[in-house]
Amino acid sequence: MALLEIRHLSKFFGGLAANADVSFSVEQGEIVGLIGPNGAGKTTLFDCVTGFHRPDRGEIRFRDVRLNGKPPEKICKLGLARTWHKVKPLARLSVLENVMVGAFARTRDPEAARAEALEQLRVVGLLPRAAQAAGGLPIGERKKLEVARVLATRPTLVLLDEVMGGLNPTESDEVIELVLALRAAGLTFVVIEHDMRAIMRISDRVVVLNSGEKLAEGTPAQVVENREVVAAYLGEAP
Amino acid sequence: MAATSVRPAARAALRCAPAALAIVLLALFPIFVTKPYPIGIGVSLFLAVLVGSAWNILGGYAGQYSVGHAAYFGVGAYTAVMLFERLHVPPWFGLPAAMLAAVLVGVVIGTITFRLRGPYFVLASIAVAEIIRLAALHFRGFTNGAEGFVVAGAPTLHLLGLELSLGTKRSFYWLTLALAVGAVLVSRAVRRARLGYLLLAIREDQDAAHSLGIGLAWNKNLALALSAALTGLAGAVFAGYTRFIDPNTVFSLTEVSVRMVLICLLGGIGTVHGPIIGAVLLVLLEAVLVTPRGLVTIGLLPSDSALVAFVGKWLSPAYLLVEGVIMVLLILFAPEGVAGLLRRVRARRRETAAAAPSPAP
Repeated sequence: MALLEIRHLSKFFGGLAANADVSFSVEQGEIVGLIGPNGAGKTTLFDCVTGFHRPDRGEIRFRDVRLNGKPPEKICKLGLARTWHKVKPLARLSVLENVMVGAFARTRDPEAARAEALEQLRVVGLLPRAAQAAGGLPIGERKKLEVARVLATRPTLVLLDEVMGGLNPTESDEVIELVLALRAAGLTFVVIEHDMRAIMRISDRVVVLNSGEKLAEGTPAQVVENREVVAAYLGEAP
Repeated sequence: MAATSVRPAARAALRCAPAALAIVLLALFPIFVTKPYPIGIGVSLFLAVLVGSAWNILGGYAGQYSVGHAAYFGVGAYTAVMLFERLHVPPWFGLPAAMLAAVLVGVVIGTITFRLRGPYFVLASIAVAEIIRLAALHFRGFTNGAEGFVVAGAPTLHLLGLELSLGTKRSFYWLTLALAVGAVLVSRAVRRARLGYLLLAIREDQDAAHSLGIGLAWNKNLALALSAALTGLAGAVFAGYTRFIDPNTVFSLTEVSVRMVLICLLGGIGTVHGPIIGAVLLVLLEAVLVTPRGLVTIGLLPSDSALVAFVGKWLSPAYLLVEGVIMVLLILFAPEGVAGLLRRVRARRRETAAAAPSPAP
């Protein structure tokens, strides 16, 4: 049984199929890259999986539990957490408090939450920023904060929505190392990313979406060789 | 081991000392000053702290700007008074009943209106409270309509074998002081507990909070229940104090709902001490604006003062207008209230202190 199973998922906005009959699965311990041109339906798929949209057709199962119609807070507590493409820092709270909010998904005790938050801030390298207001962080650190906050909810599967977008190459490398280290520690990831260099480096498997449909699936090497994928990104050869 | 555990406790006690001292002084005040006017100002102040702290739990922490808290204030007032007048239920049971009634009304209103966000929630909260006010005016058989209720006998509160007569201003002074302190302690406990963090997260970004495992409807209703319970309690005590209630007073949009928001805006929304600062400022302002003669009775101003005459003639009739202008100015220039201004000044002083010393060696 795969950790996450997406079967024939469709989501319509009016007449537009944001996701059309998408199926794939994610095994425990994998890093699956999710790529596709803008508007391919990647973030919509994350929204469906995490309960922010209700799928119109198909089924999503996580650890054999059906997720369709479950509210986001229940899905988070099942161990499936996500970051946001457009980062959502709790601006007027401190960096530490932001991560504590994540930790409260698993504990009622503020001291335990504080300890957990400090640990996750250390993991992502934001410990020196702990006392600052989250709203004042530069973009690279905001992305790290998203990751720390999600880790504090103690997930089994993490959906990362472009956490490397807007980062410089050094920061981007740090995040790649972090994701690989967390995978080695037993976490599973689905990663949306536009940076192909990053996707090639971290993904075990890549799923390509285009106009809401699954276009291809395979190892990073197979996917970049795929003619349809190249055509979708660069346009048809004349 | 002993030293490390004693020292923080001692430090905490030291930090609480000024507040404890202030409470003791306030409690002793009516023993030395018996003039009714300052005692009445005290009651107004403590009720303002109580309702401000109550509103702050939902509006300040959870960011749900209800401008319809008069619904809970009025329901609390009517519950206690009607139980006392119609069924002769003693106020000792009337107060918890008022809190419970306010919570029940709150959960119904919350379940309907918490689906709305931002200005839509604000408008819905006003609308629901106004509907309740109009219903209280309309269903005369049940509520006496616009005639309202006059609380005839002075109720006596039996507490731990003591008989606390609620007939005097002083007894209300001590009762409301105790309730105000209690409300601030509740607000402080909420802020420091898990619930406080979840509410702040909801205020800052509902989607982020939701994705981090925070149930939005549940936690907003929890905040509302606490907020409504304290507001209902305030309404019930207010009714006992003024001995008269009618729908246009206790369900008033301006004098109850907006006033609660104004207390928090003045002091600082979302902080534990904000409603205290706001209550002090607003009650003093109202004392000067609405009853300038009071300043004469306590000897602060001579009886032929031109200021009293000016305020009495020009400002008193329009005090709501003055408060409205203050509210607009606050929102424009000091949205974090006096607490926010103090914080900014302190931060700037710390910056200059850090930059100024250590001349080159």
